[in-house]
Amino acid sequence: MTVQLRLNEVETHIGQYHIIQGVSFEVRKGEVTVLLGRNGAGKTTTLRTIMGLNPASSGTIHYKGEDISRLPTFTVAQKGIGYVPEDQGIFSGLTVEENMKVAMKNDNDSTKERLELILVLFPDLKKFWKKPGGLLSGGQKQMLSIARAYINDNDLLLIDEPSKGLAPIVVEKVMETIMEMKEKTTIVLVEQNFMMASTVGDRFYIIDDGRTVSNGPMKLLKEDEEMRRKYLGIA
Amino acid sequence: MKQLMGNRMNAVYLAVAIFLIILPFVYESRTLLILLTQVFIFAIFAMSYDILLGYTGIVSFGHAMFFGIGAYTVGVFMKRFEPTVPNLLLSILVTILLTALVSYVLGLLTLRLKSHFYAMLTMAVAGLFLVLAEKWRTVTYGNDGFTFRVPDMLKDRTDFYLICLVSMIAVFALLKRFTNSPLGRVLQAIRENEQRTESLGYSVLHYKVIASVVSGILAGMSGILYAISLRFVNTSVFTMDITLDALLMTIIGGVGTLVGAIIGAGLIEFAHHWLTELAKVHWIFERWIIFFGIIYILAVMFFPMGIVGTLRNIKFKGKKEKQQKAGEKIAS
Amino acid sequence: MEVLINLTLNGLATGMLIFLLAAGLTLIFGLMDVLNFAHGGLFAWGAYSGTWIYTSTGSFFAGIAGAILTGLILGLATEKWIIKPVYGNHIQQILITLGLMLVLSEMLKVVWGPNQISASPPSYLAGSWELGNIIIIKYRVFIIAVGLMVFALVQYVLKSTKIGLVVRAGVMDKEMVQSLGINIQKIFMMVFMVGAAMAALGGVLLAPYSGVIYAEMGLEFAILAFIVVVIGGMGSFPGSILAAVLVGLSGSFMAYYVPSLSLAVNMLLMSAVLIFRPQGLFGLKG
Repeated sequence: MTVQLRLNEVETHIGQYHIIQGVSFEVRKGEVTVLLGRNGAGKTTTLRTIMGLNPASSGTIHYKGEDISRLPTFTVAQKGIGYVPEDQGIFSGLTVEENMKVAMKNDNDSTKERLELILVLFPDLKKFWKKPGGLLSGGQKQMLSIARAYINDNDLLLIDEPSKGLAPIVVEKVMETIMEMKEKTTIVLVEQNFMMASTVGDRFYIIDDGRTVSNGPMKLLKEDEEMRRKYLGIA
Repeated sequence: MKQLMGNRMNAVYLAVAIFLIILPFVYESRTLLILLTQVFIFAIFAMSYDILLGYTGIVSFGHAMFFGIGAYTVGVFMKRFEPTVPNLLLSILVTILLTALVSYVLGLLTLRLKSHFYAMLTMAVAGLFLVLAEKWRTVTYGNDGFTFRVPDMLKDRTDFYLICLVSMIAVFALLKRFTNSPLGRVLQAIRENEQRTESLGYSVLHYKVIASVVSGILAGMSGILYAISLRFVNTSVFTMDITLDALLMTIIGGVGTLVGAIIGAGLIEFAHHWLTELAKVHWIFERWIIFFGIIYILAVMFFPMGIVGTLRNIKFKGKKEKQQKAGEKIAS
Repeated sequence: MEVLINLTLNGLATGMLIFLLAAGLTLIFGLMDVLNFAHGGLFAWGAYSGTWIYTSTGSFFAGIAGAILTGLILGLATEKWIIKPVYGNHIQQILITLGLMLVLSEMLKVVWGPNQISASPPSYLAGSWELGNIIIIKYRVFIIAVGLMVFALVQYVLKSTKIGLVVRAGVMDKEMVQSLGINIQKIFMMVFMVGAAMAALGGVLLAPYSGVIYAEMGLEFAILAFIVVVIGGMGSFPGSILAAVLVGLSGSFMAYYVPSLSLAVNMLLMSAVLIFRPQGLFGLKG
């Protein structure tokens, strides 16, 4: 199996704070890799470090065999990595259409095809096509954010806590979408909701105090109650 | 170690102070005397600015307004009423009240917002004061300004030199204590990390306003001394140039050090004097401010700590490295 | 009636000049969080370089083109060498742009001498139209027209082009724009250059309007532009034209009826905005 993304002993400082103190993991092509861990463990910062938003102070990040750890954010994105941030990053003053347009790299047939697929997946976006993104509900914003990352021919999506603050029924919808997208692209998912993580995830990594402490196939974690209690505080 | 270094610095300060006190009695040069008097006055002004920029991290672009308020207040009092000592004291009191009021209101209005609001608002209000000084002719005599007489005790150049020197030393000592006090520590904490200070339970706005008021009052005092030294005041005291002087002095000398402001004041005043002399040789020196502008830009870019701060850093780094090495030894 | 129309035209013309200065300020601020205190210097450089070209070639439009070019070049240099090195540090940015302002206005005196330079409109824009007993000065109408054209053009670019879309998105969320694969540094540079060019255009238009230019005019107009940016809302482009017209009109009417209060009124307006609506009358962020 090809490794799509590999982090090796990555450390990140934000100001004087040493947030990531040694994160290493591999993301295999076609899989959903889930990053788990308590609040403040450094999961979000790990994604931001991959994107170059909080550049790594040491360690390396390889994407498709190329070192991307010192590249500026926009170059990382251009390499084919889509990012769905924790706060969704919707341009609230722009319409749904404009939000999509900012993201679209080109206007060719494959983009159009994807757009059609997206509108089938998220009929709400079509309904609010000309409305400002700020007026959308939390779930719709999440859909828009995912759609924006998916519209380009990205080979890897980084999705940060898509279930956060959403009603269970909406979470289910998001889950279905991720399952659908999984057919075409590799995904790194940060998720607190264990039900969701264990349903869509193929492989897990646990981050604790800024370090990766454990990993394995998702099946393993489902069976290991002790580990769940220790690192995730759930049984 | 720190104690020892403090003592050594104090010895240097004392030596310089004694030297400056006896200077006028051993070396008679009217030009130098007047120049040094200017240095002392602007050192007070620059130190007051350092409280804002260096110690609290507030950028003001209208510091001239406090300087000007002081200058005009004393001028108007001396011109309108008799030039007596009680009237002088009264003008000082009025200056304190006015500068405190203005700095309080300005601080309250904008210090809760992002840093550029204060910079912008102070710049605009200083501009307003300039216009006021130009237009309120019955009091200010407009652009041309006016001359006035000063109390007899301030007439002697040497005496006035000593008064300014003592004032500068007093302000320096006072601000040293102020910045080392618990209150001063909070101000520095705000400069380092505003949010954290706020989350520790300090009302940041409250402390910023205090810094703004202290700074405003002291700037007013330097304005008073300036007007007395010239026995003349005109609208130039409200111009951007005065604010720029304070900026150049503190930035080039070194922000957040107080002594840097004094050194900066000396450098700028002397350079101004010499370069103006040189203007007779070549006209480019009339534009001496360009050189300082460029030095200032480079300083902000590469030496944001100024002369004093950079020197201190070099010293401090050396010491820190030694400590680190010692630490590594222990660890291994 | 005649007075009223004249004051209105005068206020609108001044407002348009302030708008040209404030528009750049507000766009640059919105996109980069940089308040450029050297913006007035770019305005003054536009005035000097444009007037110089105008008087030496005899063509007013060559002067305008020259001023715009000066603005673009200075904008490029400023962004590259002054703003970029201190990007992300607010206090350093504020301090350094003021230093640049100082150097820019002193350099004016080195290049063109310390004295005022006079300028007058070209013959085809000089004089006035008479409609009955109402006299309309041509050059004022010209300034208003140019201002409106620039507004329409920028508004068109912002609303209807991809690059405008990216700029608007960047004002809202810089990180996200970059995460979508867009090089925002490039966008910054372009916006900075366009902002500088608008300021320079304002400067060269001012020259024949006020009759004289001098190095300190940059700072004077910059203060008005700051007031406009605060009132209009930092980062709001439509806000900048509305507030500029407001400030221009109030300046012109107050100067006629209560001259001693003309600047004070704008200051009071700004203070009120700062107290009650720090994000500005039309602004998005505070």
